[in-house]
Amino acid sequence: MYRYDEFDAQIVKERVAQFRGQVERRLSGELLEDEFKPLRLQNGVYLQLHAYMLRVAIPYGQLSARQMRMLARIAREYDRNYGHFTTRQNIQFNWVALKDIPDVLALLAEVEMHAIQTSGNCIRNTTSDHYAGAARDEIMDPRPWCEIIRQWSTFHPEFAFLPRKFKIAVTGAAHDRAAIRVHDIGLHMRERDGVRGFEVHVGGGQGRTPHIAALVNDFVPEDRLLDYLEAIMRVYNLHGRRDNKYKARIKILVNELGEEEFTRQVEAEFAAQRSHEKIDLPQAEIDRIHAYFAPPELATKPETSDVFEAAKASDKVFARWARTNLHPHVTPGYTSVTVSLKPIGGLAGDATDAQMEIIANLAETYGQDDIRVSHAQNIILAHVALDDLPALHAELDAAGLATPNESLITDLIVCPGLDYCNLANARSIPVGQAVQKVFADPDYQEDIGRLHINISGCINACGHHHVGHIGILGVDRKGEEFYQITFGGRADEKAAIGDIAGPGLKSEDVPGALKRVVDRYRELRSGKDELFIDTLGRLGHDPFKEALYAAD
Amino acid sequence: MSSVRPKLKPETPKSITAWETATGRTVWMTADGGWTADTAQIAAFTGDEAEERLAAAAKQEAIITDPYFMEVTETGGITGRETLRESIRANGPTVAYGDKA
Ligand code: SF4
Repeated sequence: MYRYDEFDAQIVKERVAQFRGQVERRLSGELLEDEFKPLRLQNGVYLQLHAYMLRVAIPYGQLSARQMRMLARIAREYDRNYGHFTTRQNIQFNWVALKDIPDVLALLAEVEMHAIQTSGNCIRNTTSDHYAGAARDEIMDPRPWCEIIRQWSTFHPEFAFLPRKFKIAVTGAAHDRAAIRVHDIGLHMRERDGVRGFEVHVGGGQGRTPHIAALVNDFVPEDRLLDYLEAIMRVYNLHGRRDNKYKARIKILVNELGEEEFTRQVEAEFAAQRSHEKIDLPQAEIDRIHAYFAPPELATKPETSDVFEAAKASDKVFARWARTNLHPHVTPGYTSVTVSLKPIGGLAGDATDAQMEIIANLAETYGQDDIRVSHAQNIILAHVALDDLPALHAELDAAGLATPNESLITDLIVCPGLDYCNLANARSIPVGQAVQKVFADPDYQEDIGRLHINISGCINACGHHHVGHIGILGVDRKGEEFYQITFGGRADEKAAIGDIAGPGLKSEDVPGALKRVVDRYRELRSGKDELFIDTLGRLGHDPFKEALYAAD
Repeated sequence: MSSVRPKLKPETPKSITAWETATGRTVWMTADGGWTADTAQIAAFTGDEAEERLAAAAKQEAIITDPYFMEVTETGGITGRETLRESIRANGPTVAYGDKA
């Protein structure tokens, strides 16, 4: 994992001191809210419905136990004993007082954390595959490049005032688990003739006008990546619509210029830059950063584990969890474990301080001190020996962290919605809970198979509803909450934006309507291994729309 | 303003609501122009008086942030198009959270 050098540490410390001064001046009235707002946003502080919210960066979603313990401490001492892990692989605290935030940031700095690049019109936290450096299907570890991008983009003078926020995601596996095609820039790592590089996708995004990114270059060698990104940023900085917030994202620019013209301009900028200002990273620097992400030293083990097999045979609850919440690891005898933050009827992505402490302890005992946050709002222990799974499961279960539902229908992505968010039109959390309840039976869930339901409380789409196999969008109609359903979205390498099925539903009608849709799928699928999204692709949306609106 | 709220007619009773700057908790103006976190103390204003109160609130930025009009009944009860939003602002999330979830 990346460790701060003295410069990183110094910068973060100075930033805390600077913000402390700004907060003091705000509280004395010397700074008015209009002046203070851009300053607080640069430090991750939002004003939400009923409190300030502090968003803390978790670069590419990776944490150590020590860092997780600090998050637990902050939840306990400065918040109401919990935090919310987000679809951006960050954590949000919902109730921190502004007067305390400088102290919170100082505590975060002690464990090499901060809230920089979590808001405002800058390059935000680079996100990645939550199984990075562990997945069996991985070609290359994306994290070193996420870190290189982080170092390049933080405080880069040209990127401090972009037309709008800017999100980059990197994946290194064939199967895209980082939703790169719905990011402003999505990088898919590739190898060509022994050279490592990136497929570059630009202009994806969700929100009001969702777009799947355009493939702008199918191979940029790794030593030229920063130059290439810089060329993209220059074209964006030059033409991005600063006059209209709703047209300011790069997706609009790519769309308005057309993919071809946009690509031409990027290539021209790249060529111009290469001739005099190139920033080729020296191999030594690339290697230096990679060294921080060296795989953990794992004891050699056989591919199968007797302890694990015996536990599966004797304990049905454990066996089910082992079927659903494990992901194949590159090292024989190991696995990646999803710690579900989606208990039935709970709050998606929330963890209490006590749960955070437990996760930290378990990561140290069983998980090589390596914790990940997934964009699906779960926690991952990336490297766990199969032998340790029964013990790990028992401890997770006792803490309410062993719901066997990874990527199943109750593993919903849910944004905070109108229960917290100042921009929301409708609530998300209660709708998610009600949907979970109708699908709660674990046998039923396993029978349904992989099905992603994503919910957002407004068109900003923090809950990724556009790319849910089933998406739910809360809308406000004259003060009443309605929910628009979309079908056919997906966030992986076959990324697609879902289509609106028809008129919005009242909240109480959503669970029953979705149950009809899912049961229709179970009737129509060609076999148990045809996923909902594939049946939808094969048959079209009509049978499911019919089920959605059929009377009970 | 952190968000644009619907316009209210001059004669519609309204409260002035904001966030306490130091803590972020939601507050409402009382009849005597102070601030309260207790919804029972919410005062209703109309017409020019409401406008004057809002202007006065906007000058108290050290204490409160982003004041705006919220529709209320004549006795200060939350009502109107934004009832759900304002009730959640007043009473907290509609779901149990943290240790209570
Ligand atoms: S999608 Fe809308 S309601 Fe949900 S968190 Fe984002 S801005 Fe708030």
